Amino acid sequence: MKRLLALTMGLLTATTSVNAAECTNATLKRITERGEIAVGVKADYKPFGFRDPNGEIVGLEIDLAKEVAATMGVKLRLVPVVASNRMQFVEQGQTDLMIATMTDTKERRNIVGIPGPNYYASGTNILSPKALAFKDWKDLNGKPVCGIQGAFYNQSVSDKYGAKISAFTNAAEAKQALRDRKCVAFLFDDSSIASDLASGSWGDFEMPLQSEDQSPWGMAVAKSEEACAFGAMISGMEYNWHRSGKLLELEKKWEIKSTGYLQAMHDKLADPIK
Amino acid sequence: MASDIDKRGQGYPRRSDMAVLLPLRPAPQMDSLSLTTWLAKIRWWQVMLLMLVWPLHAFAQGAVTVDSAVAVLYKWAPFLLLHGFLFNVLISILSMALGTGLGVLLGLTLISKWSPLRFLGNTGTAFFRNAPWLVLLFVVLLAFPFELTIFGTRVPLPGWIKAVIGLSLPVAANIAIIVRGAIQSVPSAQWEAAESLSFSRMQTLWQIIIPQCIKRMIPPWMNWYAILTMATPLCSILGTEEMVTLTRQAMEAEGNKPELLMPFYGFILVLFFLYCYPIAKLTVRLERKFAFKL
Repeated sequence: MKRLLALTMGLLTATTSVNAAECTNATLKRITERGEIAVGVKADYKPFGFRDPNGEIVGLEIDLAKEVAATMGVKLRLVPVVASNRMQFVEQGQTDLMIATMTDTKERRNIVGIPGPNYYASGTNILSPKALAFKDWKDLNGKPVCGIQGAFYNQSVSDKYGAKISAFTNAAEAKQALRDRKCVAFLFDDSSIASDLASGSWGDFEMPLQSEDQSPWGMAVAKSEEACAFGAMISGMEYNWHRSGKLLELEKKWEIKSTGYLQAMHDKLADPIK
Repeated sequence: MASDIDKRGQGYPRRSDMAVLLPLRPAPQMDSLSLTTWLAKIRWWQVMLLMLVWPLHAFAQGAVTVDSAVAVLYKWAPFLLLHGFLFNVLISILSMALGTGLGVLLGLTLISKWSPLRFLGNTGTAFFRNAPWLVLLFVVLLAFPFELTIFGTRVPLPGWIKAVIGLSLPVAANIAIIVRGAIQSVPSAQWEAAESLSFSRMQTLWQIIIPQCIKRMIPPWMNWYAILTMATPLCSILGTEEMVTLTRQAMEAEGNKPELLMPFYGFILVLFFLYCYPIAKLTVRLERKFAFKL
């Protein structure tokens, strides 16, 4: 046991010393120095990050941000971000960490550091009138489809299935366009569509297709922090949330329609010693 | 015909077969105040009628009941008003202050005796007057850093400050034109009289000309303030947390029901109208008051 411990310690020191040459750990130092962590979150994506009528930002991702701040023993400052500026803020150091419903992609990993394991995953689906009875994604060929600006799947659905995407700035406007019959379907995350259908105000509508592109969501840190202390710490926290069932618990708390991803991750990373 | 003359006893017929030159009435012109004039021409009863008919029409179309939409809006109204609309007002006031300061300086360069300075001023004015506001906002947002380090202290430069700067640029260029116009409208005899009393150019400008200009600059200045206020929702595109951004977030929190679009955006419309309408009314009144004096 002692030898094992010594070996682990040795390995740990070895890896730290290798990284120490390149790691400035500027983000971690800044957070400790200021006693505050700035986290970029969404304020327009229910139930992951949205406002309550008092103006406070709440949601699943805000709970995660609180966990991070509490673990580090610093104050939490939430910075509302949108899809177009969230990565820029992390790059510039305006926010230390970003938890903002961002899909993890290869292109994005070139710009920011996205530590694994991913904390959530969702697929793409459509909300469409029952009367149209879509059966397959190919049925959308040449038809007008409403979407949201900045969603990565707009491109793939239009390329693969020939749908004509018109992108709106927010979901309410896109859904109004769907009701006004300006488009045959509304393209969005499957978990959000499922929540809408469950709310009861979309009686004549359905989510008829097989979800596409199950994609992982990632938290982001500055690229220089990815392989350093802060990135490793975030990585560790994400792992623990999966293992302890924290994420499953939060999914239930915020009444998110399960996509199956969290359960699968929980099973995969389960503690072998009960 | 004869009885007409008898009745009036004046010797002038009421009607005449002679060709008469009617008084000249100038055609309506697009003046610098056109937007404000248009806004000020709206009558109160028209507003009331619209506010009564429009929601009824909107509710008749949607599946939503009057109760639920109003209840949702009522829940959010204090937050939207205090954090959203008042923030727009703050942005507009700061932009106007900055824009006026820059605009007066720029306006003075336009009447400079030194031609390189005049050329520079003219170029700047033309550029900022004719560039789209949204594009200026984007340029300022992207070109400025998010924080400045001045003598070792960290000065954060949040998005809304950049929005203030971005909006003040076109305002400054338009204020410059107003300043030049007002200065040029002062009769040249004033300049000559001042010169004969051995006032320097600076003294003439500051002590004689500009005090006379201020009164006639107020109406067009207020007109630009109203225009600027109505332009502040542009900042929502840059992610500034103002009225339109917060309204969208509120609708998101309420499940993005399309029925909410009309009440929520209507609320913004009403607030902006209630703020800009009195300004427009006052502007037109001041303009009339100052128009024929001097």
